Amino acid sequence: MTRLDLFLRVYLALIVGFIFLPIFVSLLFSFNSARFPTLPMSGFTTIWYETIFADPDFWRSAKNSLIVSACSAVIATFLGFCTAYTDYRYSFRGKSLFLAIILLPPTIPLIIIALAMLAWFSRVGMSGQVISIIVAHTVLTAPFAMAIIRLRLSQIDESLEAAAWNLGGNEWRTMREVIIPFCKPAILSSLFLTAAVSFDEFTVSWFVSGLNKTLPVHVLEIVQGTIDPQVNAIGTFVFAISITLVVTSQALIFFRLQRSAS
Amino acid sequence: MTEPLVVLEGVEKHFDNFVAVQKANLTIGSGEFIAIMGPSGCGKTTTLRMLAGLDAPTKGEVRIAGKVMNDVPAHARDTPMVWQSLALFPFLNARENVEFGLKMRGINPAERRTRAMNWLERMEIAEFAERNVETLSGGQRQRVALARALVTEPKLLLLDEPLSALDAHLVIRMQSVLTRLQRELGITFVYVTHSQSEAFAMADRVVIMSKGEIAQIGTPREVYRAPKTRFVAEFVGRNNILPGTVTAHARGTATVETDQGTFKVKGDAAVGQTASVVVAADMVQIGKGENTIKATVISEEFVGSMVTVFLEAPGGAELKIQLQERALADLDIKTGKTVSLSWATKDGHLLLEEAT
Amino acid sequence: MKRRLNTYALTFRLPIIAWQTLFFVGPLVFVIAMSFFVVRNFQMVETFEFTSWEKMVTRDYVWSSYRYTILMAALAAGLASLLAFPAAWYLAFRCQPRTRQFAILLLIIPFFTSYLVRTFSWYTILAESGVLNGAFGLIGLGPYTLLNTPVGTLVGYLTLILPLVLILQTVTMANIDDRLIQAARNLGCSPARVIRTVILPAGKTGFVIAALFAFILSFGDFVAPFYLGGSNPPTLPILIIDTTKAGQQWPRAAVVAVMMMLTLFTIAFTAIMYAYRKRASR
Repeated sequence: MTRLDLFLRVYLALIVGFIFLPIFVSLLFSFNSARFPTLPMSGFTTIWYETIFADPDFWRSAKNSLIVSACSAVIATFLGFCTAYTDYRYSFRGKSLFLAIILLPPTIPLIIIALAMLAWFSRVGMSGQVISIIVAHTVLTAPFAMAIIRLRLSQIDESLEAAAWNLGGNEWRTMREVIIPFCKPAILSSLFLTAAVSFDEFTVSWFVSGLNKTLPVHVLEIVQGTIDPQVNAIGTFVFAISITLVVTSQALIFFRLQRSAS
Repeated sequence: MTEPLVVLEGVEKHFDNFVAVQKANLTIGSGEFIAIMGPSGCGKTTTLRMLAGLDAPTKGEVRIAGKVMNDVPAHARDTPMVWQSLALFPFLNARENVEFGLKMRGINPAERRTRAMNWLERMEIAEFAERNVETLSGGQRQRVALARALVTEPKLLLLDEPLSALDAHLVIRMQSVLTRLQRELGITFVYVTHSQSEAFAMADRVVIMSKGEIAQIGTPREVYRAPKTRFVAEFVGRNNILPGTVTAHARGTATVETDQGTFKVKGDAAVGQTASVVVAADMVQIGKGENTIKATVISEEFVGSMVTVFLEAPGGAELKIQLQERALADLDIKTGKTVSLSWATKDGHLLLEEAT
Repeated sequence: MKRRLNTYALTFRLPIIAWQTLFFVGPLVFVIAMSFFVVRNFQMVETFEFTSWEKMVTRDYVWSSYRYTILMAALAAGLASLLAFPAAWYLAFRCQPRTRQFAILLLIIPFFTSYLVRTFSWYTILAESGVLNGAFGLIGLGPYTLLNTPVGTLVGYLTLILPLVLILQTVTMANIDDRLIQAARNLGCSPARVIRTVILPAGKTGFVIAALFAFILSFGDFVAPFYLGGSNPPTLPILIIDTTKAGQQWPRAAVVAVMMMLTLFTIAFTAIMYAYRKRASR
């Protein structure tokens, strides 16, 4: 069996290699002095990073991206929380339809949603504004928020909410003092995850943002032109932000759990 | 005679097409320790939930301290519950858990803390006050749950099988804690369980339920020695039940003819009535006596100092006799051996079958 | 407490219903309606005509693009499923749980990198003077033309879908009841036989769902066929972009979108039916 194991281990490494190759290449060549990435590398430089950080367009798009991610994360988490709680607590006629409405977006290709949003926002006069991207992103990321929080709610003691009512808390008070504190790790995770997803989204943003570009749209425009190593620098920058968001959220949760256990 | 604290009058609970509780009539006095017991699905937990306000009765009235509670929501009642799963708040420490009920009532933080710490000391877990409840042992969590329920000084405490998740030795210890607490505080405990030993050890009165109906209410001894229905006779204790017909009746003693023979039993009945002779296993002796049956030994069940011997009488009736282990050692009881069993007429109980 | 419909329950139910209807259902319904609109004098007119449908449905390039898109998406989904399987099998059955969790965490990283930038990387890797051909050159092979071909498109699709398929397959197989596998091994089955008789049937739902997601993602992606495939030939998403951005013919784009939605709905429905169908007992 070990020959099979060895073969499979190499195979797995190759697959992982295939998946990580473009990431690695982008990271590596963001420091390459030649314009075109080829082997062997020409020399080490940070000029591409300097270029992007000196570009006002870059900062404008980055700012838009941050605003959009932050806002859509908050709204998506709120919507996801409401849906998760409703699913957890209530049964009612039309519940399947209710859940379908919020969980369907990931099954529809982004290009179609992009077209739909563009047309719809134009119709109601909302196109090309930062708010349009925020709204579009909440629709796209709310399902993830719902899933994360619903998962957490499935771990709750089945009598916990009733215990709070029993001790004198009405529904609103119980929501504030029991359900939300219980879901806090999931709410945090959701905020960071939806922010990260929003930060990387380009298809719908491209259609809907108009002149208020987000960072991925900025990248899209560069890529449509010539081979420009700036893209590697931007890509690494975006990756660093996304990873920081995710790692921070996981660390927060981990340390919170450690603290409450001591 | 104390005013009844809790009255259930004609209470019924229907869920869609299923009746969980039918026509329940029960009064509970102030300071009583009542146990509601029965097999799974008998409606005992539903009844408890109706007292707490978590389920509303479909019919009938629930009155607490004279006030009709049917439309009073759970959070407006003063009926704290100790839950089967304990339902402690995992994101709070022990003290904060205990303070919760006080916080909901708007008590200021300083007073909350004092009262909570008092109770934690009383339950002997003050040292764990600042510890997160997830890190405490089962027994310690039990005590936090109790303290949390009692800190608001209610008149009525509800308990839903609170000991079912504990190890056996902890159960015994917690039983005495509960009994002691109830006597010290003098408040009413309504305790739901499926365990007869728990109910009998702690309760002043027991309520036996089956399939949504209350089968019998009485002191543990009454229910044990004088079961009113066949269900109660089978559910409580180890009883021998011999069905038959009353053939004669004179001076408080009835003669009942069964497939296993004719026996005399204490009780009142009319001739021709369908009735059963009920004899507790610990009232049966080996040897001949006032009422005798011959039976063959099938098996033994050894539970420490007591042994239950199972036998089969002619006609297929299953009989049981319970004796001290050391008494059994003296006798020569082997599987397959036929012995005579007997009991005194005064030790039997006449069970009249109800008309359905 | 459950039956009383009150402000509390509605507060948690109504916002989403309103939001999603307004911003999800609304736009999609509008797209369907838009496919019946017409563009006159550079203005989109809201009407109910079949003009746009006719214009698109009668064009050969639309149908060849349609066939090509389905073919490539199916190929990508199939290829990804096949390529991922040995790796997923290894992770599920030959690894310690901790290694497996670490691997899954590793595989989540690509989701947080920019797909665009990864595609750009592949562009430079696959180019005639790029990294891959440079490596081939060192051992005297090539150079190979990989860009602007279906190969480029496939590489792009795989970059998009492989991590997801690998994770889903691993989780599916790790969740198969261990006792079934033990039983098969005890009866003397070789690993290949165990796969054929136990793993594939037991994990059917997971595998089909993974392939379905892979298909939907590839079907709707424009980046891979555009940048790595050279739009040669164009896929349906590229048609949408062309007719919207360049052509300003939104109704025609809507027609393509509706065609895509109908196709996806049919395929998804069939796949889910197949995935969840219980085997009739023999």
